[in-house]
Order: sequence, then structure tokens, then C-alpha cells
Amino acid sequence: MSVSAPVGPAAHRLSAPDGPGPTSAPARVYLAPGRLYASGEDVQVTTILGSCVAVCLWDARAEVGGINHFLLPSGSPASPRFGDSAVALLIGQVLERGARRGRLAAKVFGGACVLEAFRADTWSLGARNVEIAREQLAAAAIPVVGEDVGGDRGRRLVFHVRTGAAWVRPIEMKG
Amino acid sequence: MSKKKILVVDDSRTALFMVTTILRKERYELVTASDGEQALEVAAAELPDLILMDVIMPRKTGFEACRELKRREDTKSIPVILVTTRGEGENVEAGFQSGCNDYVTKPINAQELLTKVRDHMGAR
Repeated sequence: MSVSAPVGPAAHRLSAPDGPGPTSAPARVYLAPGRLYASGEDVQVTTILGSCVAVCLWDARAEVGGINHFLLPSGSPASPRFGDSAVALLIGQVLERGARRGRLAAKVFGGACVLEAFRADTWSLGARNVEIAREQLAAAAIPVVGEDVGGDRGRRLVFHVRTGAAWVRPIEMKG
Repeated sequence: MSKKKILVVDDSRTALFMVTTILRKERYELVTASDGEQALEVAAAELPDLILMDVIMPRKTGFEACRELKRREDTKSIPVILVTTRGEGENVEAGFQSGCNDYVTKPINAQELLTKVRDHMGAR
């Protein structure tokens, strides 16, 4: 597997929303690591990712979506902290809120590897987190329609749960 | 192979004890500091393989210390993992802006801490 390398200027690549943005002011929620959030309300979820990965799922017709933020590829007992259960838990949550499995689409973000020496190493924690997300989504037959993964920067991700619109930008060092 | 050295920085003795107890199980060599200013001194003297640092501390915050570590030639390549409190989105973003390489949240989970520490030192 490989983690996609950043192509071109990161800010340019990431600045434009990749779906229709919310028209009125949505409610804002901050998602802490190891948690997940699902809703059919007009909610915009923000989370900050380093080597962690967030999987965003939504059903555009039902206008229901959700997002997780997991820290490690695997672990037990099942928890939103671990990739091998965080995806299934998220799927369960969005289905419970009225999404249909066959209409779900996904986006995957995060999985940075901050040490240059190990960036080519596909087994960095970030890379393993991305890999497990892709594996779990493939096993659930959910298409990944967008992703921004790997690289060497933390990311700020904003996800609009009802529309699937996602905004992600690298966090540059300041000062 | 020599033991990897980790600098743990926290002004809370309890937090310092908890983190060092977790790391000791993995046989790392540990050095500690109790505020941001002292962290800079110890980092320059010890040149650790990794720094694990709390955010809210007297004299110099974790952000300020991190920024300075990343500015200095001899310490800029040392990975810094900041320890933040769960739910503090702004703190996490400010942490990355100050040059930190990753973060963990309190309460510290041993498995997560050890996995991140191992990963950032390239020891897998």
C-alpha cells in the first residue's frame, strides 16, 4: 500500500471545499481523538489530526453522516479509538440515524508521518492507520470518494455531516 | 544498541509520575523537567530522542518551549509530542503551529502513548 504524497502546493490543493458547502450557519462540534459523531442535523464537525485518521461517512440522500477519529490501527475491546472497530461503529451509528448502506460514501483524512526519515516507510503509525481505514471501508463495500492522507503536517479537518463536504488544511508552523 | 532517551516535561508531579511509569516498562532512559524553561535547558544538555511535553506550565508554556526547540539548530530535529487536555481543539491546533510533531490527550492511555512514542522514534 502507499500513502498518497502531497501533490503541488498544499494550501492550493486543499483550500477549495470538495462538495456543496452549508448555506446557513451550521452548529459546530469539536471531535476529540478516540470519539465519533453521527447526525442528521446541520452540524459541522472540526477535528485536528496528526498521525490519527478520521473517516467521514455520509448518505447524501438521507442527509445523514458521521465521522470518527481513531488513534491506533487495532486494539481491543472494540472502541472508536481503534481503526479496526472505529469504522464499523461509525457505520452502525449512521445507519441507525437513517442512512442506507448502499448509498454511503467515505472520505479519509490524516495519517501524517512527521519524521522525514520514515516517510517512505509504509509502516509508520500514520500509514498503518490509513491502511486499516481503507481495508475496513473496502470490506464494507463503501467507496472512498476523497482523501488527503500522509504527508508531514498536522491537519485541521472540518466535515459537514449532512452533505459530506469536507475542508482540510495543513497546519503550518507559525512564529 | 543504547537505550533511547525521552525527555518528559510536566509541572504536575502526579502527571510526571504516571507518564514515566508507563515509559519505564519499555526500558527507555528518562530525563524530566518541570516547566518549559527547564525543558529547553535539559533538551540542550541531554539531546533526547523524543520530547513529551505538557502544554500548560509555568515560566514557559509547552507551545513556547516547542517553538524554541524547533528554532534551535541542535534540538530542531527532536520530535515533540504535546500532551493536551481532551476537548481542547484550539490547543491542539496551536500545538501544531508551534511545531509539535503529534499530540496525545489526557487522561493518558498507556497503549496510545507507547505506540506514538515508538513510532516517532522510528523503533518498530
